[in-house]
Amino acid sequence: MATADELAPSHRSHKPRKSGPSYMKKNPKTDNKMVKQQNPKAFGVNSAMKAKRNQARSMEKEQRRIHLPTIDRTYGESPPYVVVVQGPPAVGKSLVIKSLVKHVTHQNLPEVRGPITIVTGKDKRIQIVECPNDINAMVDLAKVADLALLVIDGSYGFELETFEFLNIMQVHGFPKVMGVLTHLDELKDVKKLRQTKQRLTRRFCTETYNGATLVYLHGLIHGKYYSQRETLNLFRFITKSIKIPPLTWRATHPYLLSDRLEDVTPPERVEMDKKCDRNITLYGYLRGCNLKRGMKVHIAGVGDYSLAGVSVLPDPCPLPSGLGGKKKGLREKDKLFYAPMSGIGDLVYDKDAVYIDINDHLAQYSKTDDGKSRGDVGVDLVKSLQNTKHCVDEKLEKSFVDLFGRKTSTASSERGYQIDDNTSKWKQGLKKDIRKKKLNLEQIVYGASATSLINEDHESSDDDDEDFFKPKGEESKKLGSGLDVCNANSEYSSKFVGSGILKNWKEKQVCESIRDRFTTGDWSKAGLRNQNDELYGDFEDLETGENHSSHHNTEPGAEEVERGLKKLALRAKFDEETNNDDNGNNPRNSQAKEPAGYFEKLKEELEIRKQMNLLALNELDEDTRIEVEGFRTGTYLRLEIHNVPYEMVEFFDPCHPVLVGGIGFGEDNAGYMQARLKKHRWHKKVLKTRDPLVVSIGWRRYQTLPVYATEDPNGKQRMLKYTPQHMHCLAMLWGPLVPPKTGFVAFQNLSNNQAGIRIAATGVVLEFNYQTRIDKKIKLVGHPCKIKKKTAFIRDMFTSDLEIARYEGSAVQTVSGIRGQLKKVQKNMLDNQVQEGGIARCTFEDQIKMSDIVFLKAWTKVEVPQFYNPLTTALQPRDKTWQGMKTLGQLRREQNIPVPLNKDSLYKPIERKCKKFNPLVVPRSLQAALPFESKPKDIPVRKRPSLEAKRAVVMEPKERKALAILQHFRLMNKDKMKKRKVKEQLKKMLYEAEKTKNEEMSKKRKREEIHERYRTENQQKKKMRRSRD
Amino acid sequence: MEKPKYKRMKGSQSFRERMLLATLSSTPIIIDEIRADDMIAGLRLHERSLLGLLDTIFDDSHIKTNLTGTQVIYEPGIVMGRKNLVHNCALTRSIGYYLEPLLLLGLFGKEPLSIRLKGITNDPKDLSVDTIRSTTLNILKRFGVAPDGGGQVLLTVPNVQTLTAVQWLEEGMVKKIRGVTFSARVSTDFEHSMRFTARGIFNNLLPDVHISQDHKAGPLAGKSPGYGISLVAETTSGCYISADTTVSCGRRDETGELDVEKQERKPPQDTGVDVASWLLQEIEKGGVVDSTHQVRLLFTLCALCQKDVSKVRVGTLSPYGVETLRNLKEFLGVTFEIKPDPLTGTVILTCLGSGLINLARKLS
Repeated sequence: MATADELAPSHRSHKPRKSGPSYMKKNPKTDNKMVKQQNPKAFGVNSAMKAKRNQARSMEKEQRRIHLPTIDRTYGESPPYVVVVQGPPAVGKSLVIKSLVKHVTHQNLPEVRGPITIVTGKDKRIQIVECPNDINAMVDLAKVADLALLVIDGSYGFELETFEFLNIMQVHGFPKVMGVLTHLDELKDVKKLRQTKQRLTRRFCTETYNGATLVYLHGLIHGKYYSQRETLNLFRFITKSIKIPPLTWRATHPYLLSDRLEDVTPPERVEMDKKCDRNITLYGYLRGCNLKRGMKVHIAGVGDYSLAGVSVLPDPCPLPSGLGGKKKGLREKDKLFYAPMSGIGDLVYDKDAVYIDINDHLAQYSKTDDGKSRGDVGVDLVKSLQNTKHCVDEKLEKSFVDLFGRKTSTASSERGYQIDDNTSKWKQGLKKDIRKKKLNLEQIVYGASATSLINEDHESSDDDDEDFFKPKGEESKKLGSGLDVCNANSEYSSKFVGSGILKNWKEKQVCESIRDRFTTGDWSKAGLRNQNDELYGDFEDLETGENHSSHHNTEPGAEEVERGLKKLALRAKFDEETNNDDNGNNPRNSQAKEPAGYFEKLKEELEIRKQMNLLALNELDEDTRIEVEGFRTGTYLRLEIHNVPYEMVEFFDPCHPVLVGGIGFGEDNAGYMQARLKKHRWHKKVLKTRDPLVVSIGWRRYQTLPVYATEDPNGKQRMLKYTPQHMHCLAMLWGPLVPPKTGFVAFQNLSNNQAGIRIAATGVVLEFNYQTRIDKKIKLVGHPCKIKKKTAFIRDMFTSDLEIARYEGSAVQTVSGIRGQLKKVQKNMLDNQVQEGGIARCTFEDQIKMSDIVFLKAWTKVEVPQFYNPLTTALQPRDKTWQGMKTLGQLRREQNIPVPLNKDSLYKPIERKCKKFNPLVVPRSLQAALPFESKPKDIPVRKRPSLEAKRAVVMEPKERKALAILQHFRLMNKDKMKKRKVKEQLKKMLYEAEKTKNEEMSKKRKREEIHERYRTENQQKKKMRRSRD
Repeated sequence: MEKPKYKRMKGSQSFRERMLLATLSSTPIIIDEIRADDMIAGLRLHERSLLGLLDTIFDDSHIKTNLTGTQVIYEPGIVMGRKNLVHNCALTRSIGYYLEPLLLLGLFGKEPLSIRLKGITNDPKDLSVDTIRSTTLNILKRFGVAPDGGGQVLLTVPNVQTLTAVQWLEEGMVKKIRGVTFSARVSTDFEHSMRFTARGIFNNLLPDVHISQDHKAGPLAGKSPGYGISLVAETTSGCYISADTTVSCGRRDETGELDVEKQERKPPQDTGVDVASWLLQEIEKGGVVDSTHQVRLLFTLCALCQKDVSKVRVGTLSPYGVETLRNLKEFLGVTFEIKPDPLTGTVILTCLGSGLINLARKLS
């Protein structure tokens, strides 16, 4: 037997893992660090100082990472995540979408139009939208995107559209961004391909954030779709990275990316007038926050409308139900997808109808047969069924068999089509009762028809005509009973001093009744009073006085409820954290868990609040809940909007997104907003004050005339004519108000065929103001018209006395620097002349001259034009560029008007004339006083030249001789020198020639010498080698 | 931009509230037929004064009244809230009338508000200044606001970004009663007797009762003689329930307003008994606030909160409270879910706040 054991192949014994994830999974309690640290001393701190510093640093980093926790108020099912596919034209956006759809649903999508909703997982849906290459669509989609896929042509590189879209997104809240590189098959060279990928990835990371994902799509399979593996990768990245970004704007405003639009105008009206205002319905998932019934909405590119009707439709693309926790993937039938605009899916559901879309070539119309059946029994049967006037139930009821002699009740049957189930009847009754009671108090408060509450009182009083004449006030007294005490003109006082019947509290008995409400009373009874019994929905019918109270004994106390809430909150938090860990998005989370500081407490508080809200809202019945909180996010809504311009329907293009955003309180009022603005670094020109600018703030896009300003150190806001080149500046805009901290992006030109970047500036709203505070410098110029010692009367500075009154006491100055003050209006200055106003009396520190110019430097308010023009891009053909107000420069260029020129503002070459000074004239009195030496000598002007000037000079013969000799000598010397120079030059030349010849010789000799030496050396070496061998 | 769409209302009822809510929800309103059928038609003096007050703390609001004052057109602006403001209130109503809307408006201002109001401090119709200081400000604290001030006429209100929702159901038990009696231009004996009788009522129930007195004489006391008492009951859960009254002997006919029923002045002994009984009645009704505060503060504050569920317990719904609820629905679209609690005879109101945020506050 032993041999048999030996013969068998030796099995390697099982080695249990000692590290790694599978080890950790089995032994979660063993801390990895403890195992590793064999020598804990080695990892101790060396320097206490350094450790302290490190700790401080890590603490600070931790604190910096923390954001103020926000409460998530979306209680409903999460709507599908919006995935926007954006890229320059002809880069393969549609193909990416088609590949994705094909991958998930195995369906071929003929063309991509409008949002496409797909179920991608057990609890995940995505809505893919293709972004057309139009700045308006880009702006709208950036506002709703949860994830942006930036498709980039790998063979070409980045294009401006990508950067533009990135910038727009950064302003409107940065969602997740992912790059998709396509057209990589055009790069044949492997090395080049690798380099390109690296380069593009690096650039992409700098533009977005470090570690941004870039997916590579290499080539097409069969020239149709991208390869399955790569599509799968892309799909996994998409599903993994999707997360709703916590954006304040989106969390406080409901919005809807409409995936269907219907024109529901009565056809008669359209028939009458084709250009009549239309009624439309928009369909889509509600996102952001809850939508209330009376809310106003903004349709991007159209305008503000109030909702004529809102209704919930069943989800056209619901999440799979009944999938257990164990099942991993989706069943084939759950892989739904919904794209009403793409022409897929012929079934369309409306509020009260279902439309089946049948293509014309598929439809076969049967002839209306007139009595002659073609013999098909089935068809006949169906037709006969269609023709019946009474349904089966009715017939059944009519064919009543009288057994017990009672009368047929069909005629009075109210229920009609109800299911005659015993239990259901019972339920129905109960339901009705509950509803009735529910309404009790609310009905009393809000009235049956809550709309006409205020006028009700008056209307009711109109009814009794019997006593036509009534004394005033009697009416009101009559009505002053019951709860509607406060009739139209009652005196208002919040102090509600009841009917004046006060109990006699002096009596002990009366006092005892409220004994338990005092600390001197029974505490346990008081505790019972504060229980949260409303949780269990017992109610009182006030009219009948009936008490419907349920079992109180089993009720949990308030504390217990709170504890329950806390538990729920903790659980939710835990779930969230584990989710994060799974996604690997937050590796440092475990670190954050440890210090249960203020932050954690805050988070827990919010979570408890959320759970409380959920609890309170979920116990309401459906109608009340909608009344109280509005429609929940994630529901598929049908919005009806009336009186929309017909162009919206006429020029509707499914490729362009229809964004419907809710408007908050006060956001439909126009006012001034102060914003911090910066010109885009790539935009070529600086922006000019009061030039029209298209801005996109909140949901809206509109054109406005901003005034730029900067804040001086003293807090004054000084107007700027142009935005600074590289700096932030303030901008004052007029438009519909948005809350502070809202970002915006500005454009100057919206057309698609521009060379440069279209984004002109980006900014953020700081505050809003109804009053503008921007000032600019003003310099008033005047001239003195009369001077009396240090007082001067200045004219031309003002045109009226009123203006002077405004500037009384302000400082003035002359060109020469003499300072002064404006005193008062001077009237009747110019006695004989025509009366004219605007002469001011000023005093100066010194007397000024008539030729002086007087300045008054002051500040004046700048008016910001109250102009804003909403962009109506949805009301025109989409390929047309929207044209709003033009800039002055544009107008001038178009109409060929030269820029007006002020000659005085031109720079001219400075000419400084030579100063001509007058001769010095010493006054006669001074002259007289001077000593003779300093006196100017009065020499009379000569008429003829003096004798010395006139005389001729003749040389003596001796002198002449000497001069001649000198001349000869000089000549001789010159000649001699010349000859010597020539001789020397010749000599030098000869020497040079000799020298070069010698050098040549020596060089040659040297070379030969070296040559010889090397040769001998070599020979010797050879010899040596030979000898050694 | 199209013309603002005015909300049309009729009658003079809840004038203050309408102005307040119109401002907060920035809805332009037109109120028609204000006492159109009265002998003296149109706005009263205090209402005009209120409009003037609103104008001083607002920026870019347009208030227009027609000649007779039967119509008011109001386009709200933004609440500036500034410092060192002074307003002379009309003498037909006391300062409490002006303080109530100011407290709420100040919260949603651009800057903290500090205003000095001059006028009558206490009168029978409105909350007395003492009550506001002792009770109203405490209620505000629940919503995350801690205003300082109060005082006689100097009001300081900070501005907030948002209000936090409350779940305020626990009434607790009354642990102490505090109060203040005030008198001006009358003998201190009045105060003594008021205190004495009021205390006498509470003696059966609670030993912890302190009523202080605030007597003013001479030029400090103002122009009209009068006396009154303001009582506050504090519970173990931090609820404040108050009652107050004033007996004033001042002339109130100077406005030309006809006194409908000549007010009989009660002797101080009876006043003390009445107010104490009134306070006990309020306590008996239950709820976390008294019926006076229900109206303005509690409901309005709940509706102005963040989009969270607020739950409060009140005693019986007062008619003015109902009026407020209606107005809140009209302006802010906030509907309350109302449930009676038969065990205690109280009503529990649940609402989801409108999520109003202070838009005027500057981004720092």
